[in-house]
Amino acid sequence: MDQALRRRLLIVAILVAAWVAAVLLRLAYLQLVCYQEYLARAQRQQQHVVEVAPKRGEIYDRNMHPLAMSIPVDSCFAVPSEIADQDLAARLLSGVLGIPREAIAARLASSRSFAWVARKLPPEKAQAIAALNLKGIYFQKESQRFYPKRELAAHVIGYVDIDGNGLGGIEYELDSQIHGKPGRMLVLEDARRRWFARTDQTVDAGANAVLTLDEKIQYIAEKELLAAIEGTHALAGTVVVENPNDGEIYAMANWPRFNPNAAGDSPAEARIDRAISALCEPGSTFKLITLSAAFEERITRPEEVFDCQNGAVYIAGHRIRDHRPFGLLTVAGILAHSSDVGAIKIALRLGAPKFYEYIRAFGFGAPSGVDLPGESKGLLRPLENWTPISVGSIAMGQEIGVTPIQLLSAVSAIADGGLLYRPHVVKELRRGSQFLAPAGARAASEPRQVLRPQTAATLRHLMEGVILDGTGKLARLDGWTAAGKTGTAQKIDPTTGRYSRTQLIASFTGFAPLNQPAVAIIVSLDSPVGLHEGGQVAAPVFKRVAEQVLAYLDVPRDVPLKLQLQRAALRGRAVDPGTEELEDFTPADPETEALLGKDETATRGSVEQTESVSAPTVAVAEEGGVPIPALTGKTMREVTEECLRLGLEPVLVGTGVALDQTPAAGAGMRRGSKITVRFGSPARGGGRAHQ
Amino acid sequence: MKRIDNSRLVCVLAPSRLRDLARWAGLGTLCLCVALSYVWQHFHCIQLGYELEDLKARQAQALVLNSELRLEIAGMRNPGRLDQIARVQLGLTQPVPGQVEFVNGPSGAEVAAYRIPRTPAVPGQARLLDGPSGGSQ
Repeated sequence: MDQALRRRLLIVAILVAAWVAAVLLRLAYLQLVCYQEYLARAQRQQQHVVEVAPKRGEIYDRNMHPLAMSIPVDSCFAVPSEIADQDLAARLLSGVLGIPREAIAARLASSRSFAWVARKLPPEKAQAIAALNLKGIYFQKESQRFYPKRELAAHVIGYVDIDGNGLGGIEYELDSQIHGKPGRMLVLEDARRRWFARTDQTVDAGANAVLTLDEKIQYIAEKELLAAIEGTHALAGTVVVENPNDGEIYAMANWPRFNPNAAGDSPAEARIDRAISALCEPGSTFKLITLSAAFEERITRPEEVFDCQNGAVYIAGHRIRDHRPFGLLTVAGILAHSSDVGAIKIALRLGAPKFYEYIRAFGFGAPSGVDLPGESKGLLRPLENWTPISVGSIAMGQEIGVTPIQLLSAVSAIADGGLLYRPHVVKELRRGSQFLAPAGARAASEPRQVLRPQTAATLRHLMEGVILDGTGKLARLDGWTAAGKTGTAQKIDPTTGRYSRTQLIASFTGFAPLNQPAVAIIVSLDSPVGLHEGGQVAAPVFKRVAEQVLAYLDVPRDVPLKLQLQRAALRGRAVDPGTEELEDFTPADPETEALLGKDETATRGSVEQTESVSAPTVAVAEEGGVPIPALTGKTMREVTEECLRLGLEPVLVGTGVALDQTPAAGAGMRRGSKITVRFGSPARGGGRAHQ
Repeated sequence: MKRIDNSRLVCVLAPSRLRDLARWAGLGTLCLCVALSYVWQHFHCIQLGYELEDLKARQAQALVLNSELRLEIAGMRNPGRLDQIARVQLGLTQPVPGQVEFVNGPSGAEVAAYRIPRTPAVPGQARLLDGPSGGSQ
């Protein structure tokens, strides 16, 4: 190799080495000196912090049927500084969203860095906006609340605002627990905005709430309330169904109602939960409290006779009239026929201080503690503010304001042997498989004994008389015993400031079955038109709701069904030979006749044949039916021995020989059921007159 | 000028030098492999990140779809809607008291096992069998 070539090669090698050295130096400079600067610049371009909205907890009924759910949907926002032509963008977005162009333009002009265009969009609109491919327009996932059962239990469930904050019902009451806490997510994205890595910060999902409501019972209550409202043209109404054995609310129906999916479209009046906030005078239903106090203090007996003075009594210079004149009435009769005069006389004998004490003990004048917002505590003046007429007025349900839930709690206490439970709608709170403690102040509390069990049993017996012989005959159930009390209260006319003769609140409250109550129900109708007494308009609603709910809960019947109903029930069944005598049953009720069809007799054979082939129905004998013996006239020992022999639990009230019993002799009951037997002296049966 | 013939001289590489050369070559190859594997790993990691994000997006979509379907089922099971269908479309009426009986029958699984369709005798014809024991007919 000659010298020249070697020199050239050397020069090239030096140049290459210099180039390599330069690259290495540049690399070293970038990696060592400029590292932090370029790292920060890369992170600014690649990393994004994304807010992750929490998933709001779901709300279920007691059978885990969803009542409120949340689904992530797209919300559209803009970064106005990135939009070159805001007018064009506003016009295009206006076409998709159906919002005036000026409104969108105003939103885009309101900020340089962030402006909502439209929140919680339907998927098709979000896709349409995405298809526009506008620079500076972005989407963010937000959780939207849906109520799949629409108006069902809307007052209990409540509703949320656009930001997902609870504004009513359980949504408001448990907002802190079902809302959850938002999280953040650090994502890395490339130049094409594709994510390729992320770091999650835990999102605290909201807890799921399980309510004591049963959606089917709720539907029954709402359906029957709606039918009653349509039939009576009442302004408003409430039906509440409660389990008297633990205070769980099965249903809470109100009218007017609203759709929580569009709560803002309904008037504020429709969103009021009247069951817990509507304050009204209870009327005659409050006589239950009057008699409870009197029996508990042993100042009277059911068979004691009072002179109801042909329907008028003077108290503190005021004349109070009965709804119709009564002469001599037993205490049981006073309740059954709802005599105001009789109730006033009993209250006067009881005295105001004792009466006040029992009113407070039943929870009136204080919130019932139901775990819903906006509960009214009622209106009960302190004893020192009572006037001389107050004791008489309150005895018949005036001068006192109560809510339906307060009244129902008191009746539930009578049904459950004198134990007063806190009514509640929240069964449990869950986060995954973890059970959470109930919401603070609403934690479960022990029931209070407000009456002796014997007093409660006496009241139950008297309340049964209201349905069998008194003002509540239309509440009599087919297949079950029941007890209750009617009420018709006058409203204050705001124009005159006096009691209105046309504006009334008709109510009925009761429970069933008599000995082992499974449900307690209150029905209240505000200002019915036409028929307006509680026994006329509210009692039938109680009957319809109670019969459907008891059948749904599979509560054993404790009285035989009406014969025509048995016949209707057995239509189409493959009856066994032992039930052939049912062929002789003749419907006595015209409605049932119509139900069965006029030409049923002629076609029945073919119908049975067709139905037995296409849809055979299994006829099942009543489970565990024990025929109730006749116990009247027997001693306590004989009654006890007879009941224990049959596997029944006797509830003995009074002393002496058995005067009557509930259920009546001949009815069928399950073993272990309670049978109430009232004892007394036959000689004292007539009682004594009280002036 | 005297010419010196050194064509017979042979440059002999020392074995130790050859070993050093081989060692350095091996070390260089190793370093290259490590560097390449690091680079490959880095890019593969990014690629997996894309795939993972894709799967997460699909999972999120599936969860949303699941929620939407659950919402739809809940709406379909609205008692008011079912009542309307029963009364208006099917012409059913409300049962009178006593007409509904709850029977403590076999569990749903037992019923399902009893009604499970077997292989049809004739291709294309599926039928429900009478029961596990007598199901050959």
